[in-house]
Amino acid sequence: MTAGHSDPGLLDRMVRSSLGWLEGARGQFRLPANVTTDADPNLTLKPLGELAELTQLIGVLHPREDIRHTARGLFAFAWNETRDGELFAELIRGEPFATYPVELYGVFAQAGLRHAEVDELVRTTTRLRGWRVAREDHTRTLGVLNAERRIGLRQHADFSAVLALTGLGGLPEPWALDRKAAYGVTHDVFHLTDWGRNRQRLSPELAQYLRLWLPSWLENWLEEQLWDLVGELLAVTACLPKAPHDPAAWQRLADAQAADGSVPEMGAAPSSDDPDELFTACYHSTLVTAFAATLARIAADEAEAGPSGGDPALVGGRTPCESESAP
Amino acid sequence: MIADAATGVALALRGEGDPYALSGILRQEDALTPAAVRVLGADALAPYAVEHRAVAVGADDEAVVRQALAAYPPGADASAVSAWTYRGLVEAAHAFLPGGAPPWPPPPEAGTGWVESDPWPKLAHRASQLAALALPPLAPGLAEQLAGRTDDLARGFVRAVRRRDWLQAAGLGRWLARLPEAPQTLGLDSGLAFVRQMGGTDPRVALHVAAARRFHGRGW
Amino acid sequence: MVTDRTAPVETATLAAEVEGLLEPAEADGVFRDTRECGGALLLAALLLISPPTPRPKTDVR
Repeated sequence: MTAGHSDPGLLDRMVRSSLGWLEGARGQFRLPANVTTDADPNLTLKPLGELAELTQLIGVLHPREDIRHTARGLFAFAWNETRDGELFAELIRGEPFATYPVELYGVFAQAGLRHAEVDELVRTTTRLRGWRVAREDHTRTLGVLNAERRIGLRQHADFSAVLALTGLGGLPEPWALDRKAAYGVTHDVFHLTDWGRNRQRLSPELAQYLRLWLPSWLENWLEEQLWDLVGELLAVTACLPKAPHDPAAWQRLADAQAADGSVPEMGAAPSSDDPDELFTACYHSTLVTAFAATLARIAADEAEAGPSGGDPALVGGRTPCESESAP
Repeated sequence: MIADAATGVALALRGEGDPYALSGILRQEDALTPAAVRVLGADALAPYAVEHRAVAVGADDEAVVRQALAAYPPGADASAVSAWTYRGLVEAAHAFLPGGAPPWPPPPEAGTGWVESDPWPKLAHRASQLAALALPPLAPGLAEQLAGRTDDLARGFVRAVRRRDWLQAAGLGRWLARLPEAPQTLGLDSGLAFVRQMGGTDPRVALHVAAARRFHGRGW
Repeated sequence: MVTDRTAPVETATLAAEVEGLLEPAEADGVFRDTRECGGALLLAALLLISPPTPRPKTDVR
């Protein structure tokens, strides 16, 4: 892997630019009145959930105060959209066996934003034997387990055992990876490390596997110009111990970012006059870019400070907002 | 013509077909034979590296190789690939066609700065073009230097398979088979089998995979 | 390609061709992805922070 020097200025510009575009897109993140009934959750709850997940992290961990401030504003906006958590009570009453309200609530719960009625509800629903029935997608199960840990619920399955069944845990041949499997691997890492907050949870074996093969995958998807996956792979790279930095890859992602801060999901910037269409085509990659650049910035600071320097709260990849044992 | 010759070599390495003779698949009288031998490089003589070969090497083979060496020497500004493939053919002549008269020329110098300096995708592409030199016991110095970048060659293999560049993947798989420490998680044996299944209709792919199997016991 | 055995051999041309064959440019990558088939398409499950539905590279938006 290229052991290049990072450019904190470039990384910070990318985060600022992304957050600027996301600020301007608040209107599109706003939840419609029918969100708990017949609105498409993939176009409503999913974008807002991603916004919350990643701006929470940036708002706490980014070394620059102005960036943290902007991110915290977006996170507060997201919580406000859930009507201080009331949304989750409605969603769970409507769909008590769905995992997504629990996963979404976990984002806010880990930040201390709670809703008493939701806490009561999930204590009941997640204790059912039915909740423990294996789900189709093991990566998704890791997400549910991480949410349970964040909320302080008993985890319904053994995290390591489920991880062993995933596309990361099985250490598959690195050339036998299609696009879906690649997204699976990045999310296995995100759930395992709590989105880079607890990077030491990555075992030496998994870290070595990723260190070896991430450069190949990155090169492939840079060539395909699948920018959200490029961003996710760069974020995973930043989760490695003594994280390597590939300046050329970062420059290529920076080049894909438009002047307004948006990053298209694939190829060149979409040309459309429909703001909703532009939003759908860009919001995910733009959020991922801000997230990846934040993790890379933290890794760069650690490399600069050396293993024993830097913010004591971040040494070993542990963050101040979370402890290993659930409350 | 090159494809036919490569098929002949691959068959011989798998122990199939008639006993191999270079001058049998690339005839001395053919005007294009020297060019084909030059392009195949050391692999034109690879079957002679197999132990216990049944047929003695004939004078015709020697003549064919001499023609190729005379007709296509690397120029003063030759690329590293051109210089190394030429050197590979000379080394192979020394190793597998001994006792020629007049003696074979000494192997010309070829640079290795690129092994250190190339970024890994470029290194991998170049190494794959030199896959014939993975034939033991050729180019021990180059093999030793490439061993220092084993992980990068393995990354190149992954990249090549994912972009369905079977020829590059096969060449890299062959080098990785020769090098002592291909990463275990690469899955080199299954990878070589996969490349043969997916790209084996290209005779040069089949040749590299057969060589990895024959000389290093790698691949299913 | 060095395949036409009847043509007169132009040494210089052939030498260039040999060089080209020794060192061809890297081919364009071919990226073809796994297709989904079966029930998964019908479920349209909400995938939290999961990839968008893959689209072919040529998709015009």
